[in-house]
Amino acid sequence: MEHTENHHNNEHGALTKKTIWATFWLLLAITVIDFAIYFMMPASGIRNFIFIGLGVVKSYFIVGIFMHMKYEVVRLSSMIILPMAFILALIAALLYEGDRWSIIKWIE
Amino acid sequence: MSELAVQNSNSPWSGGKSPFNVSYGKLMMWIFLLSDAFTFSSLLTAYGCQRFLAASDFAPMKWPDPSKVFNHFPFLHGMELPLLFVSLMTFILIFSSVTMVLAVEAGHRNDKKDVSYYMFLTIIGGIAFLSCQAWEWTKFIQGSHEGRIIDGVKVFGANLNINEYGPAAFADLFFIVTGFHGFHVLSGVVLNIVIYVNVQSGTYERRGHYEMVEKVGLYWHFVDLVWVFVFTFFYLI
Repeated sequence: MEHTENHHNNEHGALTKKTIWATFWLLLAITVIDFAIYFMMPASGIRNFIFIGLGVVKSYFIVGIFMHMKYEVVRLSSMIILPMAFILALIAALLYEGDRWSIIKWIE
Repeated sequence: MSELAVQNSNSPWSGGKSPFNVSYGKLMMWIFLLSDAFTFSSLLTAYGCQRFLAASDFAPMKWPDPSKVFNHFPFLHGMELPLLFVSLMTFILIFSSVTMVLAVEAGHRNDKKDVSYYMFLTIIGGIAFLSCQAWEWTKFIQGSHEGRIIDGVKVFGANLNINEYGPAAFADLFFIVTGFHGFHVLSGVVLNIVIYVNVQSGTYERRGHYEMVEKVGLYWHFVDLVWVFVFTFFYLI
């Protein structure tokens, strides 16, 4: 019972208008940085990694603050985030291997 | 024996309350969003594979540079403005996410007037985003005035078989991934309208809490989250 009350206090304490607007300005700033890097840096593998990294940072704030994941119990957040982390690792592995498809496909 | 029973009842898994400390509906929304994230992951994997294939030195047709394809802006004809329009769309979606979370915050205060005001703004944001996407698709399908000659035939714009920009997979994946995302936005707008009507008619006021706003809010933020990655992979990279 005590635990539930604590949770409710947390929930109402965390989601203030101030936090929401701060998160908004942060997300907007990251989008502007995306925009700036796009025009200031020539296309390269490093630039792509920067974009993906900034995307991960944006998703941290959207999921953590807007979707309230930061304040949920660890049991819930790990149930959602761990499978997603495995999927991301799978995508990275598939793309790394899939790069070699081109050799097989076009040379045949 | 009785000691053991007492110990068990303290465990979060002993039943009687949610071990995840959220309501059933919210938990199921999270599970749904996880499965939906898997769907989008598979689409983005397919996109990555096709793009790597086209990047090979042996590929018959190169993957187009997004800044050469998506460089239009409404009312500014003949100007090359890459990324500007999608950045505007990103801004609209992030802003509608903010109004959504403000509606959730107002729901915690049981403030009916604020909830309906912010829900209304969220619906407007969703419709604005869908309109932008419709314009973007129209430009993409119509193509340029010059077109491009492929196998002796002049091709304008794009369909599922052939397009003037690059390999067929480029247009196919654009239609499928942004279309699937746009369909999610459309569903979100419909859900938001349902919630808005319920808020106005006082359904949640009588119920005593605005948890339905939170559940639909989770879905709406997820749509925003997917757009972050669509924006990254289709327009930035």
